[in-house]
Amino acid sequence: MAKGINQSFRSRSAWLLIIILVIGFGAAACRLGYLQIFKASELSQKATAQQLTDTTLSAKRGTIYDRNREVLAESATVWRVVLAPVHLETDEERRVVAKGLSEILDIDEETIFEKSKQSSYYVEIKRQIETDTREKILEFSEKLSDEYDINGNAVYLLDDYKRYYHKNSLASAVIGFTGSDDQGLSGIEYQYDDILTGTPGRLVTATNSVGTEMPFKYSQNIDAIGGSSLVLTIDSHIQAIVEKYLQEGIEDHGVYNRAVSIVMDVNNGEVLAMASVGGFDLNDPFTLPEEIMSEIAKLPEKERGQAESNELSKMWRNKAVSDTYYPGSVFKMFTAAMAVEEGLVTDNSTFYCPGYYVVDGVSMGCHYTSGHGTQNFRDCIKNSCNPAFMQIGELVGKGRFYKYYQAFGFSEKTGIDLPGEADDIFFSEDGSMLNVNLATASFGQNFAITPIQMATAVCSIANGGYIVQPHVVSQILDEDGNVEKTISTDVKRQAISSETAAHIADILEENAISGSGKNGYVAGYRVAGKTGTSEKKVDLNGDGVQDYIASFCGFAPAENAEVVCLVFFDTPTGAAYYGSQVAAPVFAKIMAEVLPYLEVATQYTEEEIESLDKTTGNYVGMSVSEAVTAIENEGFTVTVKGDGEKVLAQVPRGAMTIPQGGNVVLYTDEESAKEQVEVPDFKGYSVSDVNYLASVSNVNVSITGATNSGLSYASSQSVEPGTKVSPGTVITVAFTAGGLND
Amino acid sequence: MGKSILHTKTAPDRAYLRNHSAARGSGAPPSKRHVSKKSKTKEKKKFKFMSIGLGIDMPFLIFVLLLLGVGILMMFSASYPTAYSKTGDSFYYLKRQAIFAVVGVGAMIGLSYVNYRVFYRFAKVFLALSFVALIIVLFMPSSTGVRRWIGVGSFTIQASEITKFCLIVFFAYWGTKYADKMQYVKYSFLPGMAVFAGTALLLVLEPHYSCIVIVFLLILIMLFLAGMPIKYFLVIIGGAVVAFFIALATGLLGYAMTRMDGWGQALEYTTEEMWQTTWQTRNSLYAIGSGGIWGLGLGQSLQKHLYLPEPQNDFVYAIVCEELGLIGAIVILALFGLLVFRGVMISRNAKDNFGKLLSCGLVAQVGLQVILNILVITDWLPNTGISLPFFSYGGSSLIMLLAQMGIVLSVSRTSNLEKV
Repeated sequence: MAKGINQSFRSRSAWLLIIILVIGFGAAACRLGYLQIFKASELSQKATAQQLTDTTLSAKRGTIYDRNREVLAESATVWRVVLAPVHLETDEERRVVAKGLSEILDIDEETIFEKSKQSSYYVEIKRQIETDTREKILEFSEKLSDEYDINGNAVYLLDDYKRYYHKNSLASAVIGFTGSDDQGLSGIEYQYDDILTGTPGRLVTATNSVGTEMPFKYSQNIDAIGGSSLVLTIDSHIQAIVEKYLQEGIEDHGVYNRAVSIVMDVNNGEVLAMASVGGFDLNDPFTLPEEIMSEIAKLPEKERGQAESNELSKMWRNKAVSDTYYPGSVFKMFTAAMAVEEGLVTDNSTFYCPGYYVVDGVSMGCHYTSGHGTQNFRDCIKNSCNPAFMQIGELVGKGRFYKYYQAFGFSEKTGIDLPGEADDIFFSEDGSMLNVNLATASFGQNFAITPIQMATAVCSIANGGYIVQPHVVSQILDEDGNVEKTISTDVKRQAISSETAAHIADILEENAISGSGKNGYVAGYRVAGKTGTSEKKVDLNGDGVQDYIASFCGFAPAENAEVVCLVFFDTPTGAAYYGSQVAAPVFAKIMAEVLPYLEVATQYTEEEIESLDKTTGNYVGMSVSEAVTAIENEGFTVTVKGDGEKVLAQVPRGAMTIPQGGNVVLYTDEESAKEQVEVPDFKGYSVSDVNYLASVSNVNVSITGATNSGLSYASSQSVEPGTKVSPGTVITVAFTAGGLND
Repeated sequence: MGKSILHTKTAPDRAYLRNHSAARGSGAPPSKRHVSKKSKTKEKKKFKFMSIGLGIDMPFLIFVLLLLGVGILMMFSASYPTAYSKTGDSFYYLKRQAIFAVVGVGAMIGLSYVNYRVFYRFAKVFLALSFVALIIVLFMPSSTGVRRWIGVGSFTIQASEITKFCLIVFFAYWGTKYADKMQYVKYSFLPGMAVFAGTALLLVLEPHYSCIVIVFLLILIMLFLAGMPIKYFLVIIGGAVVAFFIALATGLLGYAMTRMDGWGQALEYTTEEMWQTTWQTRNSLYAIGSGGIWGLGLGQSLQKHLYLPEPQNDFVYAIVCEELGLIGAIVILALFGLLVFRGVMISRNAKDNFGKLLSCGLVAQVGLQVILNILVITDWLPNTGISLPFFSYGGSSLIMLLAQMGIVLSVSRTSNLEKV
């Protein structure tokens, strides 16, 4: 028996040994082997990730420059206040810290106190504090350890960056702004976020789980690599000009839904200015204008949030790329170009306008209801005659119309380097386009394109038919300012022949001199352009009146053009709403400043030279008789004030341009220099009346805008009526041609 | 093999004596193998400086001391950041563990001189002691709702440590006493399950689920060694599976479940609560993986810097893996393997059945704990608190362990195993 048991034990203990050693230990060894060989790298990485306290060092975001390297957006170092409540052991300590921080940072003490109850190393208290606050925090932190024996690491500072936009609202829709984490939220800041952002650095220290450094191992500092900078094609100076006049136009015409302008280099697609006015202060992008806020305040409370975010996105919207609109009569230049390119019309072709035109039984009227009668092709454009263009469109036909529509780039996004570009809205190629549709499309109605598409297409008329790639960034600079990349200026294709383009440009120049576009005329620069007044589908402001978009798009010089400028007012609510009345004068004012700034050579007609302004000399210090002779020789009239013998002062001062025959006032004694005159109200008067008013008021006027029309009237003046000025002061008066529809 | 103590004692238990004399009787015509071994032993005797005293098994002792030494060293390496953080004294755990080790080694040596048959005589008392301990522990104050420690002053011991030892003693006794009746349900299966049921019930009240598993496995091992027919094991294992599912269904596993929830998914973030629950296991895996094949070097563990909570306890081996790599881990595992192997060899060559069962049960327990511990720290078993013999910090359990090793050594004195 016992032996049997013994035998049994021998075999069973052997089995037990096998079970424990082979199966049990074997399993354990296999598991260890699996973890330590096959999973080793994964697990050790995870371990390392938790052992290393990884403090992100913010990378400085790249700068945004305009084309002249003026800074538009820049990041500067600020600080972030961080609390490490894990170092706070008692409620008294927490209270001390909360109270202190609350006083320095102007944050509710209880909020901080609650935050300080966490067991964490990183509780952000406030971001983007500046130097003075930083000093106070450092002092406070020192005081904590000295007076209260609180770990000095309980309150600490980390580098942070803050974005500064030096030009506030200038080009706000283009530049865009960043969010609280330095991420681009709109415009260039969004589009080029990756490039601007850079690579955050890391301060890596091996720490134990409560954050104190381990007695060995490493601390490694990986420097942040600052983001690349961008050089824009935008010229701040031109941008400022554009925004100034858009704002003026908005005010003059009660424009309800903002205004757009694009100024583009016709040859390489560089956008010199792109404005959506009213813009917003990039340094404070989340604040709506007070009048809007007070409107919102009237809403029921639950609707306010939605209304506010709607208003914000409206304010941030870059209308130049995100809005679509019926191009209206501006589009006629393309219909005309199609017909010319296809050899369907010549300048001598005639079209009859009885004031309407019937297509498939649908009668569509002309803005000139009594009809333009028989007109040649050039006059069709100058008259902006819809019936004529319906006929031209018919000649072109749907197929070709569609082909050129694509060729001019209306059917595709321009691909401009800005976010939120909208698609056009047009008939599909499948034949769903009716004859009526073609007829309305021929004069630019019932389909929608974006302003940037229009500007790009007009470039092709101006530059010999080439569709260029519009863009707003010209160079990418590395952290040290070296050029990392230059954006190439692509020509995508040629839409029409150079001859056709030149032909249309020539007609458009004539249009700007004597046609519907003459309010866009700028003396000396051979401007070409076309007005447009497009109906809007929706009554945006809900006033029950048809809403319009008044636009003008033109370029200069007509030959060898340099810049295209598009001006676009969304829903003017004043008496005038035609492109010719609202947009063309603004176009003219912009061009009148932009073209000299760009040093575009002037090409005056003889008629213009006669009435050309002349530059005054400097007569101060001369004897009165010498000065009078000199002034009269230069073709000005002269008025001498006072009894002195020498000229003490003059108005206008030297190097001012005033019209020929303008009056220079010389002061010969102190007393006389104090004399002042009142500026008269020129508005509404004709050119001759303005000149008369100026001479009796003893001021000089410099005349701009459309004066080559019997119906021109003064629409604005540079010095408000009633202002006291020295005699002889030069006041710029802008003229607008009346009697133009479109 | 030295002078048998047996004859100097009056063993009151007849069955035992009968068995023993039977064993001797049957062993009278020894096999040739035994003869040759004996003669070899005799020849080498004078050279064996390690065969001090009355011939304890030197290899086993060496393995014990080696594991103890490495264990304390690694426990110290794993624990000093935690010790420093908690007490300001890096040597806090080392000092105490060293004292316990000295006491434990003393107990081991002492017990190796005690005739292990004394446990046979008091086996029933030990069984009673086990239950008493498990009952007393239920009345101990507890802050966490878990009652596992019996404390007298500053000396505390886990009731389960007492239970495990007592049950091994009891079943060694039972298996010896009813060696020829093991094939009957009444003498093997039923008493085994009865003791288990009673013990498990009390452990549920603590609660201490991992100990239920250990006790269950220990009883199975003891019954297996005692010769219970294999068919009963199949019944027991089947029953265990059913019981497990019943416990699962009734939610009785409540406490353990919260830990088991995270079982096997320590590395994947699901919820914050789960992430916190599996924190220890995850960091154990990080430590093991970080070690790779060659380890970071002794003392170089990063995970012990408060990432792995209580690295001195159940998870000390994770730090071993991190510092000594797979190589070190396997070497230590091999040492345990040698210890178990040698222990089983001692039991196989023990003079009597009680000695066989007792010593085999005691070393099997060590092997079992090693396996379970490693499977826990590698996330193959739920994290339920199974310490690693010789390595995990804990005075009472270390002393208990060494004392038990002393009993094995005591058995080895009677063993006719070749002394190296």
